[in-house]
Amino acid sequence: MTAPRARAGVATVSMSMGLAAIYVFLYAPILYVIYTSFAADIVWPFPPSFTLSGYADLFSSSLYGEALANSLTLASGSAALSTVLAAAGAIGVLRYRSRRRGLVLFLFIAPLFVADLLIGISILAFNARVLGLPGNLFSAMAANAVQGTSFGFLIILAQLVRYNWDMDDAAMVFGARPWRCFWEITLPTIWPSLLGAYLISFILAFNNLEISFYNLGAIPTLPSVAWGSLRFGLGPELFALAALVNFFVFAIFAIMYGLMRTGLVKFGYRGR
Amino acid sequence: MLAGVTVPGATLELKSVTRRFGPVTAVDRIELAIEQNEFFALLGPSGSGKTTLLRIIAGLERPDEGQVEIAGRDVTDLPPYGRHVGMVFQNFLLFPHKTVAENIVFPLRMQNLPRARRDEQLAWVMGLLRLQGLEARYPNELSGGQQQRVALARGLISRPALLLLDEPLANLDRELRSEMEVEIRRYQKELGIPFIYVTHNQEEALTMSDRIAVMRNGRFEQIGAKTEIYTNPASAFVATFVGHANRIDGRIMEIDGALARMSWNGGALLVPRPAGAAIGDKVRYFIKHEDLEIVPAAVNGVAANDVNEIRGLLRDIIFKGQTANYIVAVPDGGDLVVSDTPRTVGVHPNQQVIVRWPAGAGACFTDEAP
Amino acid sequence: MSGLGPLSSFKRNPALRFAALVGPGAAFIVVSLLLPLLSIVVFSFWRTESYELHADWNLDNYRTLLGEAAYRIFFLRSLVTALIVTVVCVVCGWPVAYFIARHGGRYRLLLVLALAAPFFTGAILRITALQGLLGPIGLINMALGMVGLGPVEALMYTQLASGLALVYLFIPFMVTAIYLSLVNFNFELLEVAKINGARPWRAFIEITWPLNWLGTAIGMILVFIPCLANALTPRFLGGPDATSFGMSLAQQFGETGTWALGSAMGVAMFGASLLVILCLKPTIRLKRSGFTGAMTP
Repeated sequence: MTAPRARAGVATVSMSMGLAAIYVFLYAPILYVIYTSFAADIVWPFPPSFTLSGYADLFSSSLYGEALANSLTLASGSAALSTVLAAAGAIGVLRYRSRRRGLVLFLFIAPLFVADLLIGISILAFNARVLGLPGNLFSAMAANAVQGTSFGFLIILAQLVRYNWDMDDAAMVFGARPWRCFWEITLPTIWPSLLGAYLISFILAFNNLEISFYNLGAIPTLPSVAWGSLRFGLGPELFALAALVNFFVFAIFAIMYGLMRTGLVKFGYRGR
Repeated sequence: MLAGVTVPGATLELKSVTRRFGPVTAVDRIELAIEQNEFFALLGPSGSGKTTLLRIIAGLERPDEGQVEIAGRDVTDLPPYGRHVGMVFQNFLLFPHKTVAENIVFPLRMQNLPRARRDEQLAWVMGLLRLQGLEARYPNELSGGQQQRVALARGLISRPALLLLDEPLANLDRELRSEMEVEIRRYQKELGIPFIYVTHNQEEALTMSDRIAVMRNGRFEQIGAKTEIYTNPASAFVATFVGHANRIDGRIMEIDGALARMSWNGGALLVPRPAGAAIGDKVRYFIKHEDLEIVPAAVNGVAANDVNEIRGLLRDIIFKGQTANYIVAVPDGGDLVVSDTPRTVGVHPNQQVIVRWPAGAGACFTDEAP
Repeated sequence: MSGLGPLSSFKRNPALRFAALVGPGAAFIVVSLLLPLLSIVVFSFWRTESYELHADWNLDNYRTLLGEAAYRIFFLRSLVTALIVTVVCVVCGWPVAYFIARHGGRYRLLLVLALAAPFFTGAILRITALQGLLGPIGLINMALGMVGLGPVEALMYTQLASGLALVYLFIPFMVTAIYLSLVNFNFELLEVAKINGARPWRAFIEITWPLNWLGTAIGMILVFIPCLANALTPRFLGGPDATSFGMSLAQQFGETGTWALGSAMGVAMFGASLLVILCLKPTIRLKRSGFTGAMTP
């Protein structure tokens, strides 16, 4: 649907200014952090004098190193679990009519409406008292996967609603059994949404504090180390970390944007 | 199941096949036997159950009752990928992420045929359907007609026991459709594989098929050779659905052997006696456009006993090329449409005309069924 | 084709296929979300002794919550903050989402992604960035200090700072939710309104707002719930008297180890969230929002 030509009415101008203000609001701290991460004096980084000592501190710290490894493991495991559960759920909900569809939808979306903190502590309490399990990386993976499954479910659903299920019928008539049909026909068509679901779940789990914190015991992750560090005040390695994570996240989003824009992948986006 | 082996006897048998969707019976105790080398059309309006029946044969739907046998084997409970049939769909359903060659060869890959055999069959079917050179293209780069031929190739490559076609020409423009009608029939005759062709378009059915089943509300109203269906419709529904006919309502006054005299709007016509009709019954009479003849009213002579005649005013002439439709306004009645060749007819609009046809022609049915 | 015995009829049953596909995910969520939530409801009626939960059924935890002024204050503080932040997000987010949806043109996707991306860098790092700008040794205050103006009291260690940080954290959610709704909104309806004599503001109230209410409501819920549970911003940006309910809750499971009380607090928080959702639910009438429902296979 085409937007009418924008006439520079008062409302439009003030809205565009509002838009600019929001971007400034959102990005000023980020830009400041990136700038300061290279600065010699993190309190008052003017006049600009650059150093990489913050990054050096970061990379040489074994704590951060360990935390990074844990975060990567946690995120990749959690994202894998989320993507599989979300994909199966989305396919099931869209492909097959069932009276329980509404209930299932509700279940898959429910985690979005429960706060991180609540998920974290409730799983901690449940594991400790009911299941008798101490916190470990796997329970944290599962805990993060709760949220990841919801996000992934919505992302995959958005692309899957446009999938033509009649093609599966055609494939079946020509001899493809259900699993072959999925592999040959469905997967090659919907893989972008699976990738998107994986990436988003990964990022969420990687950066998550409150769900993971309570379920990991003493195991450090990047967010929890950052949190611990922040309690004692800002340090140069924190700025370096923030700058790196921002870069990482924006790189992923830039890749996703590029793929969508050049039409290579859709993610359910009606490219315009 | 070996590809290309023909089995004697009926290729497809349906025994009392029934399928319900809630309160609606989409397919109602259908009995059918299809022979080898037959082009069979399932003709009916939307909602008649013809597509459901086709899907049952393909295995995409399971019947609630009854049996489906393909080449003598009971396949009722078999999923589609065990049945070795081919299918061509209305919106083609080519796999958009595969090339033309990959699309066509798909059924053979699912049967795990070795590469050499696959390439052989591919070359053969692409030659048959004149698709050479398009192997590496993607479906969205093809025209509608090309896509349809790729879909046909995909359906035929494994030399299935049956080819099922679900209104495949509905999305093509008229010219292309006429071409394809002839082509598809040619393929069927060349390959000797029975085709089951679902359509709501009677012209398609009449052009392409050997036998037609007219389907309505899940049942076969009539099933038989296409000429039989056309000239001797078994019910009012078939008479309206197949061919173009005028309809005249009236009442039986007299019965005389195979004929009956029907009164209508102040006139009388000699009609074939409707089955189970008694004197005084209300009836519906159908006479095809092309069975009527139109002459100027000035032509003298008394109506012979074996000719029906109706006088009227020629309102309009609709020229169709080889033929023309003459719209005749009948007093106290509606319009009669006469289809005749304009070269031999010398009438002009607003002229008094006589429409006549042999007594006993047409079809007549009692006015009971809706 | 061989191998198609009784198993095939199992596989062909759509109801069973449905269950096989959604089963794992649904079961996972029941076990990982519903059961734990249920368990803290149970624990809220128990007692903590020497860092262990004892199944001593009582209402003490709730009495504490309702009785002790501190908890009441924390709860109200969090509630009010969450409500204010939600409203601020709606007011600030709507024009942004509207502008992108209506006038974004080819850049719509870029603008929205650019807005959503910061959210994914993680709360703690974003707060770090905010501290860098707003904190007492942050850019703004230092800059003001250089010019001779004192540090802006209101920007550091106050509830205002904490609230501002919450807006910062969650406005991407709100904008995205409203944007996704507006993307399916037929702007031509506004032309119709205009032809029928509606002024821009009137058209907004009568047409745009109601038809996008579902998106707005979802955005509100997605902002309110984390804000209510928020434990981070008051700790780092709020002052000594900015303790939030979430912070206190976190302490019950961290430092003090009083899980029973913490569970009760969790129940209270979840209850409040549920209440907000239930209040919003009747205002959402799907058919009248023009929602055609994407799922019609």
